[in-house]
Amino acid sequence: MMNFQILSVTLFAPLAGALLILVIPQEDVKSIRRIGVAFAFLTLVLTTIIWVGVAQAGAAGMSFSEQYPWIPAFNVQYHLGVDGLSAPLLFLIALLTTLSLFYSSRTIEMRVKEYYFLFLLLETASLGIFLALDLVLFYVFWEVSLVPVFLLIGVWGREQREHAAIKFFLYTLAGSVAMLLAIIGVYFQARTFDILGAAEFQPFAGSFTWANIAFLAFFVAFAIRTASFPFHTWLPEAHAEAPTAGSVALAGISLTMGAYGLIRIALPLFPEPFHYFVLQVPVIPVVAITSIVYGALVCMAQWHLKRLIAYSSVVHMGYVTLGTCAAVASIGTLNSPEALNAAASGLNGAAMQMFAHGIITGGMFFLAGIIYERTHTDDLKDLGGLASQVPYIYGIAMVTGLALLGLPGLAGFWGEFFVFRSTMGFIPIAAFIGILGLVFTAACILWKMVQHIFLGQLNRRKWGRLQDMAWWEKATMWPLVLVMIFLGLYPAPVLDMFNAALTALLQALP
Amino acid sequence: MNLAESTLSLGQTLWLLSPELALLLTSLIVLVPSLIHPRQEQRRWPPYVALIGLGAALVATTTLWGCDTRVLAVLSCDALAVTLKCIALGATVILVLTANTYTRTHTRHRGTFYAMVLFSALAMCLLSGATNLVLILLALDLLNVASYVLISYQADDPRSTEAAIKFFLYNATLSAVFLYGLSWLYGLTGSTDLNGIAAVVREQENTLRPAMLPALIFVGAGFALKVGAVPFHQWVPDAYEGTPTPIAAFLSVGPMIGGLTVVSRVLLTVLPPDLEILAMDWRTLLMAIATLTMTVGNLVALWQHNTERLLAYSSIAQGGAMLIGVITASRRGLTAMLLCLIAYLLANLGAFAAATVFSSQAGSQASGTVEDYAGLSKRAPALAFGLLVCLFSLGGVPLTAGFTGKLYLLSAAMEEGLLWLAIVGATVSIMSLACYWKIIRAMYIAPPQTEARLTVSPTLGMALGLAVVGVLAIGIFPDPLLELLQAAAQGFFGG
Repeated sequence: MMNFQILSVTLFAPLAGALLILVIPQEDVKSIRRIGVAFAFLTLVLTTIIWVGVAQAGAAGMSFSEQYPWIPAFNVQYHLGVDGLSAPLLFLIALLTTLSLFYSSRTIEMRVKEYYFLFLLLETASLGIFLALDLVLFYVFWEVSLVPVFLLIGVWGREQREHAAIKFFLYTLAGSVAMLLAIIGVYFQARTFDILGAAEFQPFAGSFTWANIAFLAFFVAFAIRTASFPFHTWLPEAHAEAPTAGSVALAGISLTMGAYGLIRIALPLFPEPFHYFVLQVPVIPVVAITSIVYGALVCMAQWHLKRLIAYSSVVHMGYVTLGTCAAVASIGTLNSPEALNAAASGLNGAAMQMFAHGIITGGMFFLAGIIYERTHTDDLKDLGGLASQVPYIYGIAMVTGLALLGLPGLAGFWGEFFVFRSTMGFIPIAAFIGILGLVFTAACILWKMVQHIFLGQLNRRKWGRLQDMAWWEKATMWPLVLVMIFLGLYPAPVLDMFNAALTALLQALP
Repeated sequence: MNLAESTLSLGQTLWLLSPELALLLTSLIVLVPSLIHPRQEQRRWPPYVALIGLGAALVATTTLWGCDTRVLAVLSCDALAVTLKCIALGATVILVLTANTYTRTHTRHRGTFYAMVLFSALAMCLLSGATNLVLILLALDLLNVASYVLISYQADDPRSTEAAIKFFLYNATLSAVFLYGLSWLYGLTGSTDLNGIAAVVREQENTLRPAMLPALIFVGAGFALKVGAVPFHQWVPDAYEGTPTPIAAFLSVGPMIGGLTVVSRVLLTVLPPDLEILAMDWRTLLMAIATLTMTVGNLVALWQHNTERLLAYSSIAQGGAMLIGVITASRRGLTAMLLCLIAYLLANLGAFAAATVFSSQAGSQASGTVEDYAGLSKRAPALAFGLLVCLFSLGGVPLTAGFTGKLYLLSAAMEEGLLWLAIVGATVSIMSLACYWKIIRAMYIAPPQTEARLTVSPTLGMALGLAVVGVLAIGIFPDPLLELLQAAAQGFFGG
């Protein structure tokens, strides 16, 4: 069906839109917005086609692979590929970007041209990370994706935006640089930068120390990007100061990148060190559990809405890491289909959580923006009783909030379920402690968020004139809510894709 | 083409020397009329003649690719020399374009200005191929004299004079030390030719070692000064701040190319890595210098508010990073050094071109600090974007030449097992972004102090445009250049 380079077309479609926007005069704001949303929507259509194509081709191996030499003098290739793990995530990025640009067309008034240019550039860089199968290509996209987020926060953010932006940038960059050195190390071992080739070679397989160091370099870079404890301190500030769409991009796209890297690169290339740091020296489960429990407790203590959601992101990413740990803990014992199934369900849970987190937390940040546009405050103490004034917002927020805490029947449940099912099988103690996180998050959402914003006494003087959701805000939220409900009731379309790809990934491990 | 030296005819010799001869001729054409008629200030043609001369020299240099021969017993015409000549000439072209705006308004001694720039290009070209200690010394002195004249160009400005005196004292002292070190090399080995010295050193490795170390330190001091390495870096910020911006740009180019050329050719020829003990000596020395330089340069840059001082410290740090390429003493390392040099020149000259806008525009109003750049993205969007790209390249953000250079450099270091150097290099590049952030923030986030649109002269725009195109081209499609540089390094090590 598709014999043209659909991956490259999808990858560069947002960039083409960005370049087109550059030539439009900056006064013509309407055209800029229309073109921006149009190209983002085009990319969404393309990623849907890719999803369907991958489902048809069998989600296990790499489909639509494109491989051209890029820097032959240095053995770097332009290698793209998509499988069951990346296809839904590509769709997620495209969906969130389209909705963000659509929402921003009504909320961003300042320097619109640069805003749309940067956002489309961010989309290309993000798609690139999930499509790249060459380590240098991956790294280039990884770092390039930092610049638009940095500028989006720094220019269009709130009062403390500069500090948040530079902290985000330098923190993430520091981790990336460690990863760069590890990538070079892998090259000198495997003589190739190709991810699949290097995974076959198993770099540093003989040397215990170097394998561990290289793995830790990758892990730290991914942990920083995923905002795992103790590398999470940049996230609350970045979210608090970012513009609404910037927060959505950060939560839905950036955090997912780190988790994806963990599963796509760190696990296949370094299964032994990963196993070592999960079972013998259980650093990674501890990191995951602390992110979950500590993150949830700090979440409960927040009075700033966006920081609260930011810490809930930390918790959800903790679930992702925990699921990966459970799968890794099984390495070496994958000799029966049942064992493989149990291990894969850990990774399935992690991937499901990634996808659901993007949808749900993205929706949550949109809601935070919707509330902020009206009240101009993020302080939970100021808000209250809004349920009677803006019932539509209350309804949508309730659904999203329940999804966020993992209520069965909504998308957030399945990821947590599979993560804990797998963890119980391999690292039971971690599961017992991690469950606390679920409880605290539930308390946090229901008590802090829902109660303090929507329930209680309405301050008529302050909030008596708030408007309910406008049509464009509804148009932004409903796609996400529909996905939340649909996936909650019928997760198979996404889950089957993840399962096929991740089972194949686990089978390929030595 | 392998011409045996004794069979070189006059014509062939002239052809091999054609770039240098073209430069010499052009500089005389530019210089002599201004000596005969000094008051003729309306002369507009020197920069254009200079550009033509540089273009001719570039064309001549490209015809020399593939040569591997000695000329007049003192010059070597190999792939490395041709590459370095092209780099030097390209950098000078951008320099002349940048300086055009400045010399249009400061018209005194315009001919001398361009003549000195051409002389320094001549010196760099000679250095690129020099295989004789005396020629190295002569070429470095030519570079020095040209620098002295240029630094003191604005004689009525006390800051310029102060910068000139500082530069002169530092340079003269350390050049004397350098000469002393070279004289030790001659005394120990009885030859001024690099290959001759290498032969003697190889024979008498162990006996020569105690005496070699002081000689190395003296020689090292000389080129460390040029490159701006710690602890001889103190002239750099003062010189950059005191002199007009185009001359500061020149200072960031000339001595850097000269210093790196000398250090790579001299050290890699005389003490190649297979002489393990002696090579370990100079490599350890350089490792210490490089680490200190990178760290000090980037750390102190964080505190600077004056743009030129900030760029000065960033130049120091970049020079330190390029030394890593020399330390590895491998093919990959030399290629990396050349790649980083090209990336540095393009990005640095681009940044200086952008900075020149403020220096030439009613010089009294520009405070010289980062505040000048406030709101530049609104006043001159193209200029701001160009400067953004150059700063990102200096910081090593991917899709720029600086990243390709950094990647290759770190690989070269790791291949030779210099892991700590790689870690330091990677860490300081993050620090450097923190100091470029000041300028980027001013340009894109801070509100402009005046709403006046900034006018950028065409030649300045051309200079910045060339720099940006170069940076992005090498960042996105580095392969053609990389293969060229690999061939150059291969020629040097293999031959």
